[in-house]
Amino acid sequence: MPNDLVCFTNCLLPKEDGSLVEKDLWVDSRRGVILDPQKTFYLRKDRPDTVIDLGGNILSPGYIDLQLNGAYGFDFSVYEGSDDAYKQGIKMVAERIVETGVTSIVPTVITQDKSVYPKLLQLLRPFSPPNAATFLGWHAEGPFLNVAKRGAHLPPYLLPAPEGMKTFEEVYGADNLVDAEDWTMAGGSQVTGVRIITAAPEIDGVMGVISKLTRRGIVMSIGHSIATSDVATNAVRNGSTLITHLFNAMPQLHHRDPSIIGLLGASPYLSSTFTPSPARISNGLGPNKSVGSEAIDENNTPPQSPAHLLQQRFSAIAPALSGTVTPLHVNESKTPKTVPDTQEYKAQTLDFERPFYDLIVDGVHCHPNSIRLAYASYPERCILITDAMKILDPNLRDGVYEWREGKRYVKEGDKLYLEGTNTLAGSLVPLDKCVRNLTKFTGCSIGEAIKCATFNPAKCLNIENKKGTLRPGADADLIVLDRHGNVLSTWVKGKKVWDRS
Amino acid sequence: MRLIIREDPKAVGEYIANYICKRINDFNPTSERPFVLGLPTGSSPISTYKALIRMVKEGKLSFKHVITFNMDEYVGLPADHPESYHTFMFREFFSHVDIPASQVNILNGNAVDLVAECNEYEKRIKTYGGIELFLGGIGEDGHIAFNEPGSSLASRTRIKTLAYDTILANARFFNNDISAVPRMALTVGVGTVLDSREVVVVVTGLRKALALSKAIGMSSNPRIEEGVNHLWTLSALQLHPWALIVVDEDATAELHVKTVKYFKSIEFVQEQVEKAQAELKEKGKISEEQVGSME
Repeated sequence: MPNDLVCFTNCLLPKEDGSLVEKDLWVDSRRGVILDPQKTFYLRKDRPDTVIDLGGNILSPGYIDLQLNGAYGFDFSVYEGSDDAYKQGIKMVAERIVETGVTSIVPTVITQDKSVYPKLLQLLRPFSPPNAATFLGWHAEGPFLNVAKRGAHLPPYLLPAPEGMKTFEEVYGADNLVDAEDWTMAGGSQVTGVRIITAAPEIDGVMGVISKLTRRGIVMSIGHSIATSDVATNAVRNGSTLITHLFNAMPQLHHRDPSIIGLLGASPYLSSTFTPSPARISNGLGPNKSVGSEAIDENNTPPQSPAHLLQQRFSAIAPALSGTVTPLHVNESKTPKTVPDTQEYKAQTLDFERPFYDLIVDGVHCHPNSIRLAYASYPERCILITDAMKILDPNLRDGVYEWREGKRYVKEGDKLYLEGTNTLAGSLVPLDKCVRNLTKFTGCSIGEAIKCATFNPAKCLNIENKKGTLRPGADADLIVLDRHGNVLSTWVKGKKVWDRS
Repeated sequence: MRLIIREDPKAVGEYIANYICKRINDFNPTSERPFVLGLPTGSSPISTYKALIRMVKEGKLSFKHVITFNMDEYVGLPADHPESYHTFMFREFFSHVDIPASQVNILNGNAVDLVAECNEYEKRIKTYGGIELFLGGIGEDGHIAFNEPGSSLASRTRIKTLAYDTILANARFFNNDISAVPRMALTVGVGTVLDSREVVVVVTGLRKALALSKAIGMSSNPRIEEGVNHLWTLSALQLHPWALIVVDEDATAELHVKTVKYFKSIEFVQEQVEKAQAELKEKGKISEEQVGSME
């Protein structure tokens, strides 16, 4: 009888640097993991009996979607009828989504009445239905969002968190935020399921909980926010590692206060002695006026940027920075007493890590030029998401479809409008198309685009040993792609779950 | 000894692979009577491995009933280190052909008792009835396996200190950091190689030309070779009854023109003889296998 080992051969494997390499991949289809072929051969004294020739196509880790609101007619944010009906719904999504190359989902719940959360989030715990995509745990987008950038979130449900952690626990349910070090992939008995919380850091009480929640392994993402550059920088300093759908639901790039988008330009040499300034937290009820109108004389009123603050505070070392960070000339009258060695200074201050940012590369939510700007600024941290609504279904024709509360929407190609308006109603482009779009919009290689839907999101979730990678020991969640990125087949835990033919 | 000269390393690899393919298929190995093959590492055999892999993929050749013994391995380098010979053999050859893992033998440079490991290796070779064909390469100093200049020509598998030249040459695989290059290796001995029923050595490139001339070259009298010399351990091949050296044009640079011509003529005559023998055998006029080469 042949053993359970499978060798994929005649294929290109994406490496973690975005390149493709012609190499075989060995998989244990019984345990569902990727093997170290050399160790399997020399130590286990075994080799695959099954060899699958992929005809020169790409064998990639399965895609990971960090933000999926629903698909195939099922909406993760809508609880109707019973737990069973809901479970059936998410199972159906997991079974069908594999045709888009997605093998891991972080189901996203948009702002709800706070009474709904505990129930919904219990149902969205990590879950691996057989022969289907894996649910990695949930992403709560809201309710701690800024009403000024609410998007499709309903204003009455948006909340501040005046009591910090206590408010968060009240809303999401304390047992949904349980601190569990390695709950992540620990077999079947997963008790908690929080992965990502998108919150606006300027909302009352949010900044204070970021570090507490990140210490629990939760990814705190900045989104639906009007945070100024300083507030956004503070959020990152406190532990935020992600920006939710960059460009959407946030202030557009202003050169004097580039706000959240500006984080992509932040220098790693922001001083480590830079203590976060007291956050000018807005309650979200009015626009933040910290930027600008009084900026008549540029020399006297430089931008309110962290670099500027830095210079004001540490003017003694400003000359050392001037070449690397900013050419601003403030406090010129003061002569520095000591000028530390620039290299030494760099070494001390290399501690500002720019966050991951996710992009909806559907060609609708962001102009291709914006995508290219963002990608070029920091490709290692670019993550592709669909942010798709329940209408996501690559087999669906254009037409008018029911949404919710009596509203209907119109699907027109990759665009989705509220019926009778030209208001965008969310996205519906599957992730495999986003990957292909990224190559077109940025000119990056298919391998580099794949990385943004595999390794980068896995790294963001700190699961890059298990998902989004071809490292030995990782789950054998694989997709076969042609050289253009079209999905030919999908494999979960070493078993084929979908084939194009 | 025969010397086959081909245009470039690729043609050399093709020739040797064809040769080994024919030898294995003629041997018609079975699980009870496997073909025992000795294998080298290094840059020279890569083109041969590539050609062998292609033949396996084309279904012309199988390693299902082949036992392999590798020549050498560094001491103290982890088996999964990118420069270990375990890694090399897996990457360049074993992963691509159908050989069962249990039939592969490579010296363990991390064994607690290195001497016992070497002795055990010799024993294991004997239990298989010795090596049928040993494929080898040489270093710039003419070493075969890690039998550095000065090695006994009767040596068996043992621990060997690498020569400074070899360490320097290998530094390029270790980020040019000489201190990172292992100082010792386990290697089959010259005697171990000579014990195999057939030896095939691949020598390619200008840098190996001097070593080739020292090992098989001729002095002014074409009938007198340079001589068997423990400072050029490949020269021990002169004592072997069934040895084949396959080289590219570059590697012949230090040989005399008449030497090259002489060996080219041997190849021609050998082909004629083999052809005639095969015809006779087909007609049932001779029964025994051909032993020994034309010289």
